[in-house]
Amino acid sequence: MIFGHDMTGDRTGRPAPVRADLPRDVDLDRVWLGVAAQVWRRRPGLAERLAGRALRSPGLARALVTTPSLLLGWIIASAVVLAAGAFVTLGTSVPFAALLAPAVAAAGIAYAYGPGVDPAWELSQSMAVSDRMVLLVRVLVVFALNAVLGVAASAASGTASAVTFGWLIPMTAVSTLALAVAIVARSANAGVAAGLTAWAITVLSARSAAGHVTAAVTSSALLLPYLLVATACAAVAWFATRLQKGTS
Amino acid sequence: MNVEIGEVTKRFGRTFAVAGVSLETGPGVLGLLGPNGAGKTTLLRMMATLIPPSSGSVRLLGRDPAGYGPRREIRRRLGYLPQNLGYYPGFTVAEFVEYFALLKEMPPGRVPQAVATAIERVELGGRARAKLRTLSGGMLRRAGIAQAIVNEPELLLLDEPTAGLDPEQRVAFRALLRDLGQRATVIVSTHLVEDVGAACSQVALMDAGQIVFHGTPDELAAGGEGSGAAGDAPLERGYSAVLAAHRSAGAAA
Amino acid sequence: MDDDELIAAMATGDDTALRELFARHAPWLAARLRRILPAADVEDVLQESFLAAWRGAQGYRPQGSPGGWLWGITRRQAALWLRRRGPDGLPLAALADHSGRYADDPAEAALARAELAAAVRALGPEDSATQQVWQLMYVQDRTVAEVAGAMGVPEGTVKSRAHRVRQLMRAVLVQPVREGGGR
Repeated sequence: MIFGHDMTGDRTGRPAPVRADLPRDVDLDRVWLGVAAQVWRRRPGLAERLAGRALRSPGLARALVTTPSLLLGWIIASAVVLAAGAFVTLGTSVPFAALLAPAVAAAGIAYAYGPGVDPAWELSQSMAVSDRMVLLVRVLVVFALNAVLGVAASAASGTASAVTFGWLIPMTAVSTLALAVAIVARSANAGVAAGLTAWAITVLSARSAAGHVTAAVTSSALLLPYLLVATACAAVAWFATRLQKGTS
Repeated sequence: MNVEIGEVTKRFGRTFAVAGVSLETGPGVLGLLGPNGAGKTTLLRMMATLIPPSSGSVRLLGRDPAGYGPRREIRRRLGYLPQNLGYYPGFTVAEFVEYFALLKEMPPGRVPQAVATAIERVELGGRARAKLRTLSGGMLRRAGIAQAIVNEPELLLLDEPTAGLDPEQRVAFRALLRDLGQRATVIVSTHLVEDVGAACSQVALMDAGQIVFHGTPDELAAGGEGSGAAGDAPLERGYSAVLAAHRSAGAAA
Repeated sequence: MDDDELIAAMATGDDTALRELFARHAPWLAARLRRILPAADVEDVLQESFLAAWRGAQGYRPQGSPGGWLWGITRRQAALWLRRRGPDGLPLAALADHSGRYADDPAEAALARAELAAAVRALGPEDSATQQVWQLMYVQDRTVAEVAGAMGVPEGTVKSRAHRVRQLMRAVLVQPVREGGGR
């Protein structure tokens, strides 16, 4: 096949090897494949190996560590944004970290998966590791990571605990909205835009209604609407990943 | 029989992309021909377990893909190359093929050897560690073929696999198809009639959501003899003749 | 690229250079190994050898011959292989003892014996004149006169047969090494 007796120079310009020496019963193709397998192989990092064991699926672990919003650059950017928010909060009394966290999470979730961000998504739908499973795991991990970062930033900026944790529910609502829009519109950017816009409107209208800027995060009247939005958007995301439109 | 499809339809809104297709096939290479809009891609997507049929029965590799467990088993033994395959620009060819090998739940110990084999089979051995963004269209297509065959699938579905390949590469690809067809069921959807003639033992011709011909390439070519149909080669003439006959029969009915 | 450039490229992680090197050198290395090992073992040893070459490319200094470097690696891999396998599979027809030279490494000794066995087989069938001369003159270390007497031939004939023995063995043991033939 490649290096054996039938080989001619191929299109990459390699010269044909001298065939006269080669013993008939030695399969050089097999030898090369063995060499190539070791030279080309990728050795997974620690995070991926641990994830593989925890999820009991090396494929799912690999899909997780290749999530765009879980790449190191993204995580660092998120941390920086939240840290900046915490820093500003220390100077003023506005808990920016708590207000920023949902927005940051929404962006992360929109970029977790889906037709919006996965160019090979049609192929992904034919995989034994189901694309919904990948989506679920990615979204959960992104969410958890952002929650941890957000709590850390909030706590570091010394805001009241009601605010520190109060944004977790709005964050869920905004994130699921971003995810649903990203999937339906098949565009991660659309999801981010929807999430950020919705959150900005919520914060501003809550402020004008209640008078202080943290109302969006602390007002108990908003609790139910947030949960309803989160549930509805999660359902939309669920169904949108199930129905497939085709062309001919 | 690896594929058993009975009276399958697929409806999107009011249109039937697939309007009553029955197909049974086993190992070998089946060419799926037809004009654009005939329903080839939809049929292929159903066989790739992407979409369920609106009605009718589908059995793949002896299993019903409606259930989650059997569907997963089918997918482990499936290879699929969509018509439009996106790629991850930052991945290398080896990483790309390996990614899908893992998603097909291949045992991790077997993956490196399988990846190397697949890459060499599509003659991308000199580009294994090149980033996908540096590859030409034809090479990307071959990388797509490599991920489809990495798990040595029993059912291989290729949608327009030769798009972007130059004639020399198409010849090499046909040889690969014949080799794969020895053990697996290979279904190739294409609008290039000559690809079919060279590599396929069976041909199915689709038009307007139905299969209007199913037989050998020689039988299709024979259908064009003396009919005065358009085409430079016997197979093309057979294609045109059968298509025209079906359409006029449909108009008359 | 010539072989030195290929190995230098390999040292920087260029796997296409390894591929090219394999295309150029694997056939003759396989042929050389095949004289002393069965085909399946040749494949395994060759695979390990090229992986060792890949890993050791950084240590290559281009003053020797690349072919010699590769053969050296292959020899070591074959020796390791034989050590793991034990002497059972070895066709040891030769009696020459190289252990004095490789006393520290029994695997190397085994390899040397295998190579020698291959060379001795090349001398001809058991009862041929060249085999007889080999036995008497080189293994039993007799003088030319003694060999002439034992074989019943003139001394000149013994000398020319000894010359033939050396020729044949050299042809097998000292394989001309392929230099880089690329652009």
